[in-house]
Order: sequence, then C-alpha cells, then structure tokens
Amino acid sequence: MTTSDGTILGTTQIYGSAPRNRAFNVVMLGDGFTAAQQGDLDAACANFLTAFLATKPYDRLAPAINVFRVNVSSTDSGAADPVATGGSGAAPHTYFDSSFGNNGIRRLLECNSTTALTAAAGQVPEFTVVLVVVNSAVYGGSGGSVGTYSLASGATEIALHEMGHTAYGLADEYAYYAGGSETGHDHHPSGEPAEPNVTTNSNRATLKWGWAVAATTALPTMSNPDCSTDDGRASTVPAGTVGLFEGAHYFHCGAFRPEYSCRMRQLGVPFCRVCRQVIWKRIGPLDTLPARTRTPISVIARYPEHLDVFAVASDGRTVSDWWDQNSGWAGWFNLSGGIASPGGTGSPVTAIARYSGHLDVFTIGTDNRVYSAWWDQNSGWSSWFQLGGLVASAGATVNVVARYADHLDVFTTAANGSIMSTWWDASGGWAGWFQVSGGVAAPGATVTAIARYPFHLDLFTVGTDNRVYSCWWDQRSGWSGWFLIGSATARADATVSVVARYPDHLDLFSTASDGRIVSAWWDARAGWSDWFQVSGGVASAGSPVTAIARYSNHLDLFTVGTDNRIYSTWWHDTTGWAKWFSVSGGIAEPGSQIAAISRVTEHIDLFAVGSDGLIYSTWWDGSGGWAGWFQLGIT
Amino acid sequence: MSEVSNSSGSDAVRLIFEYSEGKISLVHQQKVDVAVPGVETHLDIRPGHYVELRDGGGASLARVPVREDLAGGAEVFPENHAEPISRVERAAPHGAFTVVVPATAAAQSIAVVRISAPEGEAPPPAGGATSPSPGGPTVTDVATFSLDLKL
Repeated sequence: MTTSDGTILGTTQIYGSAPRNRAFNVVMLGDGFTAAQQGDLDAACANFLTAFLATKPYDRLAPAINVFRVNVSSTDSGAADPVATGGSGAAPHTYFDSSFGNNGIRRLLECNSTTALTAAAGQVPEFTVVLVVVNSAVYGGSGGSVGTYSLASGATEIALHEMGHTAYGLADEYAYYAGGSETGHDHHPSGEPAEPNVTTNSNRATLKWGWAVAATTALPTMSNPDCSTDDGRASTVPAGTVGLFEGAHYFHCGAFRPEYSCRMRQLGVPFCRVCRQVIWKRIGPLDTLPARTRTPISVIARYPEHLDVFAVASDGRTVSDWWDQNSGWAGWFNLSGGIASPGGTGSPVTAIARYSGHLDVFTIGTDNRVYSAWWDQNSGWSSWFQLGGLVASAGATVNVVARYADHLDVFTTAANGSIMSTWWDASGGWAGWFQVSGGVAAPGATVTAIARYPFHLDLFTVGTDNRVYSCWWDQRSGWSGWFLIGSATARADATVSVVARYPDHLDLFSTASDGRIVSAWWDARAGWSDWFQVSGGVASAGSPVTAIARYSNHLDLFTVGTDNRIYSTWWHDTTGWAKWFSVSGGIAEPGSQIAAISRVTEHIDLFAVGSDGLIYSTWWDGSGGWAGWFQLGIT
Repeated sequence: MSEVSNSSGSDAVRLIFEYSEGKISLVHQQKVDVAVPGVETHLDIRPGHYVELRDGGGASLARVPVREDLAGGAEVFPENHAEPISRVERAAPHGAFTVVVPATAAAQSIAVVRISAPEGEAPPPAGGATSPSPGGPTVTDVATFSLDLKL
C-alpha cells in the first residue's frame, strides 16, 4: 500500500481569511474516501470545523485561524481492520495507509504520518497542524505529529486532545498510564516537568500557574489519600477553580494539574484555564496588539542581538514581545496573566536585566499594589508576586536600577505622593518599603533613578511645587536630602529623563509647564547648570523626552511634537545641538512616549504607539540611516 | 502610522523527520514564508527534544521543540469519554514529526538535540528575583544533517 493507492484531488480553504504566513493553519486530509465519497469527507470536515470553533478558546482566536481541506481519493474505501484485534479483516488500499489494530489494540487507528506530513507540506506549506480523517464508522484515533480520527461519533474529541500535544506541547493530565491498574505509577519522579500544565511544585509563590490561583484557594487543593491508585473522588471545590489537584502526568501522586477537569485529562470536557492560556499564547501573537495609548513602552537588550519589549494592551494586560537576530519578532504574549493599573497614563511594565539570562519586571496592579515577576533562562516566566504592602498612586511607574548583578533598587510613588523605595539583594531578599528623605512628588510625576557607580544612586522627580528635585544615596553617607535643580517649572506630571555619558556627568531632560523641552546638566567639577530649551523643541502635552547616549560625547533625544509627529535631535560635543527632525514621518498618539535603545553604538531601535493605537518600531543604522516604521508583532 | 517596511523577513525552514528503531532521518526540507511565534522559539532551556539550525561553526541559530514522543508511547482513547484514556508502549517505535525553524543565511546544518534537566533540579525559591540554580541542563546531539536549501 502506497500513495499509488490514490490521488490528491485538491485543496479548499474552508475557514478563515488570515494571511497564511501569520495564521494558525489547520490542514485536514481525507483517507479511505473514494472519488465518489468526497462529499462524505466534506461533511466530516464541516462537522469538525463546527466543533473546533465552538471550543474555548478557539472561539475567540478565530481571526488568526485558517482551516484547509485536502480532498484525497483512495482506491478503496475505509481503513484496514485486522481480525487479530477484533476487526472485520478489511484491508483496503488507501492513500495514507490508515489502519486500526496497531499495537494489538483495535481503537489505535494510525496512518503513515510521513506521507501525511509530506502531502500537507505540498498543499499548504505554511501548515501548523495536520489531521487525517479516516472514512470508517469504527471508533478510533491516535495522536503524535498527525492527529488521526475516524468518523465514529465523538472521535473529533481525539483530534482536539491531540492538537493540545502537537501544537502547544500540553501534557496529559490523567493520573495513570494504563487506565489505573498499572504498577510503578504511584509517585511522580522528582524534577519539574517541562510542560506548562503539570507540576510537581506546590509552592504558591513559585507555582508556574500561580497567576491563575486565587489567594483563598488552598494548595494543594485536592490531595490523593491513596497513592496506590488514581483518586476517583468528585471535586471538592466548584468547577473552574484553579489550584493544585494531585494526580497528573501518568502518576497517582506527586504531580498536580491546574483544575479538576480538563480536556487534557478526559475527552468531552473543556480545556482548563491554564491550557486555554497556553493555546492563547501560541495563536494570539499572530494577531495585532492594540496598546494602552499613553502608557510608556520599555525595552531592554540582554545582549546586542536580542531585544525584549514590554507594553500594556488596551485592556490592561501586561504584554511582551521579543526580537532575536536569528528568529525575528516573537509576537505579543500576555506576561503571566498580569493586568496593570489604569490610572493616569497607565502603569507601564518596567524591566531590567541583571545579567543576560534573567529579566526582572515590575508594574502596579489594578489594586494599586506593586508587583514583580521574573524570567530566567532555566525556568521561564514566574507568576507576578506582590512587593510588600505599599499602596502606590494609581497608574504609577516603578523604576528599577541594578547597581550590580545581585542587587535591585526599586522606586515608585505612594498613593499620597510619597517617594518610596525598596531593594532586593540576593543574600537577603526583599526589604520593606521606606520613604526616601521625606520626598513627595507632584501628582502623576515619576521617580527616575540612575547608578553612576555601584555604590551611588541619583534620583530625580517633580515636586509638589512643580520644580525638579534630586537627591542621592551613597554607600558611605546614606541618603541626602532633596534639593532643587535650577529655576524652571515643569509640567506636574513630567518625567525627568537622565543619562550619564560618563560617571561624573549627568544630563537631564524634561518638559517645562508650557511644553518646552528643557535640559540641565551636572558635572563633578562644575556642579549643576540651569535649565535651557533644547533647539526650540516643544513636546505634545504629556509626552516625555527620551534620551540615550551612544558615546560619551553624543546624545540622541526623541519625543512626540505638538503636531504628534515623532521627532529627534542629537548633541555632539564638537557641533552642539542639531535641529529637531521628523523620524521617518511617524505619527504617534498625543502625549505618548517614545522608547529608545542602542544595543550597539551605530544602531538605535525606537518603539512608539502609532495614531491607530498599535505599536510600531523603526531603527537607525549608521550605514543606512532611518528605516520606515513597521507594525510590531510577529515576523 | 503606516507600515512601511519590516525588520526582517519571514524566512523559515520546514523540516520533516522520520524515526524508526532509534534512528532519525531527515526526509523533507522546504523553505517557507511563515512566522514562527516566540512560544515556539522560546529561549528557556527546558528538558525535551529540539531541532536546531546551526551556522558553519556549529553555533545554534534557532531552536524549536519536537512535540512527538520519540520513545514510542501512544494514547488509546475510550469510546465512552467518561472512561480513562490509557497509554501503550509501541513494540517498535516509529513515526514522523515536523518543525518549522526560523532561518537565516548563516544556517548550514540541522541537529536534533536532547536537553536533559540538571541533576537534583529544584523549583526556584520563593521571594521574587533570584539567581539561577547552580548547574545547568545538558544538551546532547541525537542526529545531525546538512541543510541543502539556499536561504
């Protein structure tokens, strides 16, 4: 039996209109359908499509999904069904050689997966998953790289379960291997499974689906009282409760699943919340991301060939996208289920890389508490966890500095405007919050921090009199008092941007009360200058000024102008300040921020929320100048 | 703001592998214009099988997971969905799998690798930002192939 036992008749897109190269493409192949039976295949595919699109979360991801039917005629009808496993003895000649009775089990229906994958690649090169529909009323199916199922009632459930493995890497959540009567499956081996929907970790603080667990839910939520067998008791908590249910990943004890019930445990029930989130993370990035328009974007380069971008979606979800020189843009994904505070311009997600294999991120939650999460190369993303009991001002920014790799200093404003700080040290963990030298910021103002040396911090903010203030911390002398910088009056909600071109020099940038873009500088030898307007620039109301120093004698500034165009200027020690110029004609949301980073000295990457509320990027390269703006998503 | 250009192309390579009795063969290579989501190319180093594209010096350019049980286990599904799903070990593991790997012009070879968890791995400690646990996972080449496509 070979592909000579049939013919590929053609391919029909039966659902979707997403661009094939940016879509979740499902290819359905028919096997055991003769030329005269193609209508039966058409009907079977239509039935699957109905079930598929009614399944959460596919119902909400439909704009990024295409489904293709490949009509294949086989010489004979049906599938092989050996007598030895209780079958009819049929041995038809079919294109994909589908056969029941594999491994001595009649229901184990398999096809030639190499032929199926190759045929799919020929018809829809962009395919994501392949399903083979077998023309038989006998119940059966199997998984792996090709989901195979028959026309028997309920067999589409096999395809939905198997897609969970093939497309998303979900684990089986059932607590047995061979139906529960096996031996050697009492206790899960030590070590954390790689799959996202099973765990051996019962620690609430580090649980990989901790973001979905209510504080009132007990952990473990259900423990198996008899590890010699599967726990067959009914759930003790309401349906949909996310917690830790013992018995998963083929073992009666020692491994947990997120909910009592899930399609990855039992056919015919919905996916649990954690599995739905995993599916969303795979398909969602193929779509565009409407952003919270004035919330600042953060970007960091853990190493020169990699960028991590953090933003907040229009619905408040904390999101991230990353670019790697070898794989392009990854697509937006929800960062550990977080929702950021909507006050003011909205709390951003701020990020820092203490070293190249680790990220720490911070935001204010909808309860106006300060939250953090981390990503580590060896463990992936943590859940968000609360940093102490501080109630921050709604929509506040959390700024963070790593004076060295095992230390973080965190700054934000409390609900009453107090300037607050805490720190984390590898040896002692998190400290409590404290007010920095009695400082109080103007409503909406942020606290900016910089470490010119590992033993020194400088802070900047706009005070309640709308003047710019600073204070410093030095390891030898502790915190100084706050002092006024110059005589300018700033916008009450202004951000003071700071750059240290070299350790004994600071350049400050902010916006005056009339929108003028102003700067001041400090030098160890000369002290503080007064404020001056930078090249006559005026910013869109509320837009901050972003500054980067690619060299010790060079600065680049970016902002949104009063016409909402994105502007830049630069300063060079030999030529002074240049005129402001429009960056590739880009137009941003009024009052929004431009994020900038220089991951190598002759290169700048910019990020902005465009006038359509979507996030865009462009870059400048020393050899080619400014590129055009492109929508940031997946490439 | 209008979309003017893109930061990179969407060049990727589809690879189809066949495995039987512990041996893996590469049976299909195809250049495809398709975006590979970051969840597929994530840089977390987690245990499992992966396919890597490598440059001429053997450095990894991109790595995507293999979602096939190469050990040969298979699920058997009950007709009555209230009954348990069970698994069986195939007498002679065989099958095929496919991956799509983001590709760059520097790609010259392909490897199927196995990443093993570090010995004595423990969950990360509570309390927020942490340093990584000591030791690291081991990466073992299972099979290597040359990339015949011009990217």
